[in-house]
Amino acid sequence: MAEQEQLILVEALDHLLDRGVVIAGEAVISIGNVDLLYLGLNVVLANVDAIIRVTNKDR
Amino acid sequence: MKSIAIGVHLLRDDVEPVADAVPVGDLFMSGIAIADDQPLSDRDLLLRAASVRASLLERATFVAVRYGFAFRTSGEALEKCASRLPRWKELLEEHRARVEFTLKVAAPAAQRPDRRDFESGAAYLRALHDARDAASVPEAFRREVERLVIPLAVSHRWVNRDSTSIELAGLIDRDALPRLGEAGQALKQTVPGVPFLLSAPWPLEVFAGVSS
Repeated sequence: MAEQEQLILVEALDHLLDRGVVIAGEAVISIGNVDLLYLGLNVVLANVDAIIRVTNKDR
Repeated sequence: MKSIAIGVHLLRDDVEPVADAVPVGDLFMSGIAIADDQPLSDRDLLLRAASVRASLLERATFVAVRYGFAFRTSGEALEKCASRLPRWKELLEEHRARVEFTLKVAAPAAQRPDRRDFESGAAYLRALHDARDAASVPEAFRREVERLVIPLAVSHRWVNRDSTSIELAGLIDRDALPRLGEAGQALKQTVPGVPFLLSAPWPLEVFAGVSS
């Protein structure tokens, strides 16, 4: 993949994962078809800085 | 089956046939149907979601939903966002002919804290937060941005994203995007020493209220 295409892809994924309105969701973490944890989530995938921003907004 | 939400739209035709259009009050939530057991972190799903997001934006401006929200029924989607629908409708009507752009600028003076210097996770997170707020744009670059880019924006906002970069988010008329590209080229010429990334178009993200 050309460098320019990689840059566009990374930027698009950054916006997908780190921008936009956050709607509360839920997720079940399971291993081998056994549900281990049931979590209420605001963000399923995000970097640490994004989590800090969400946390601070909730204060 | 469940659906991964991509955005909230004014009209059904803004969504179909690119994605599924699920009614939420007076608006429509776009979704991609996936199997119940498909992990949201699946690489192909992420790429598909990014591609659908871009295709939807070609049709009309929408309120972007951050990746990760999945729903099974229209009722479930409505329940989770009912209180915000009136505001989103206002935004969609007001900014239908506009999109967002972002200008990411490196902040050379800022230094990211090292997690090994902290005894607790909470202290490390606080230090990351403080470092992020300390990041600043070189003054000469900011002046040039204010001269070349900001006049094209209907509205703009500087956002501290992390400890090594700052972002200018702006709302711009779709037909002004070519001039934004020209402004980016001019910026590269007038302040050559500052790395930046100017990108557009994006749906309503910052101006949908999430990063205020």
